[in-house]
Amino acid sequence: MNDEFENQLRRALRPVDAPEGFAERLMKRLPEREQPVIAVLPVKPRRRARQFGLPAALAASLLAAVLLGQQFATWQEGREMAEGLAAKQELLQALRVTSQKLDLAYEAVNSPSREDVEENRS
Amino acid sequence: MKLNVAPALPDSLLTQARAGDAEAFASLVRAHQGPVFSIGLRMLNRRDAAEDLAQDVFLQLYRKLGDIESLEHLGFWLRRVAANLAIDWLRRLPYTSTQPLDEDAPIAAQEKPLDPLMDRQLARLLDELSPPARAVMLLRYQEDLDLTEIGAMLDMPVNTVKSHIKRSLTTLRSRMIGARLVDCEPSAIEEKP
Repeated sequence: MNDEFENQLRRALRPVDAPEGFAERLMKRLPEREQPVIAVLPVKPRRRARQFGLPAALAASLLAAVLLGQQFATWQEGREMAEGLAAKQELLQALRVTSQKLDLAYEAVNSPSREDVEENRS
Repeated sequence: MKLNVAPALPDSLLTQARAGDAEAFASLVRAHQGPVFSIGLRMLNRRDAAEDLAQDVFLQLYRKLGDIESLEHLGFWLRRVAANLAIDWLRRLPYTSTQPLDEDAPIAAQEKPLDPLMDRQLARLLDELSPPARAVMLLRYQEDLDLTEIGAMLDMPVNTVKSHIKRSLTTLRSRMIGARLVDCEPSAIEEKP
């Protein structure tokens, strides 16, 4: 009984023909065959740049920092040296002036007074 | 696999179509347009939508010709794409039976005298099944595929295919009894192994 029902189903569902001119309408809609596009992409340089970009930037930054540090240290050293020399010059000048003053004072103390000269004459 | 492939197709036709021979491709289309259109028609229940679907299927085939390994594979591929595309369309678009099947549509194979009323009623009742169940029934009774082939086409376990067939047969038979087109009990239905 079930087989009979299934046979009825098969008959009811037998394939139907496609509408007339189906294949011709389809053929008009077919796109042009797409040719494969061979694109040459700069993969390696981009990959290299991507691979080494960050370390290179870090190294450059580090080098710049070291050079700047050295430059600053040199400049600082030069400035300190110049200041030291100026201080030395000032000190020497002060000592020279003091020495001259002391010489004058010494001469004033040790030179014979007019009274002593007159006493010796008499 | 026992697909209804046009018998006289030489294997070289596929190779020629792959090489860009438009006439060879047209021959492949003519050989398979009936089954593909029929799946669309029974799934969507509209001739215009069925033609759109069949055209879509063959346009996809044109783009994927390189993936087709043999004429047998071609038949499997076309039915699989047609059934799955129809299920997708039914899920996305509100196809209804407002435009019924064309009763004068030419029948491809007519084996013995038919009961046109019952046949039309059965075809309409199919429209009430869920899209996956309808696809299973079409592949089983229109394309005469076995359960394993249907499962492979619809990415469905064989047990799911079996239960779809069993439930659909019960539903269809009870509706037919309700319409007094068959006169036996639904409980008499047993699944054919």
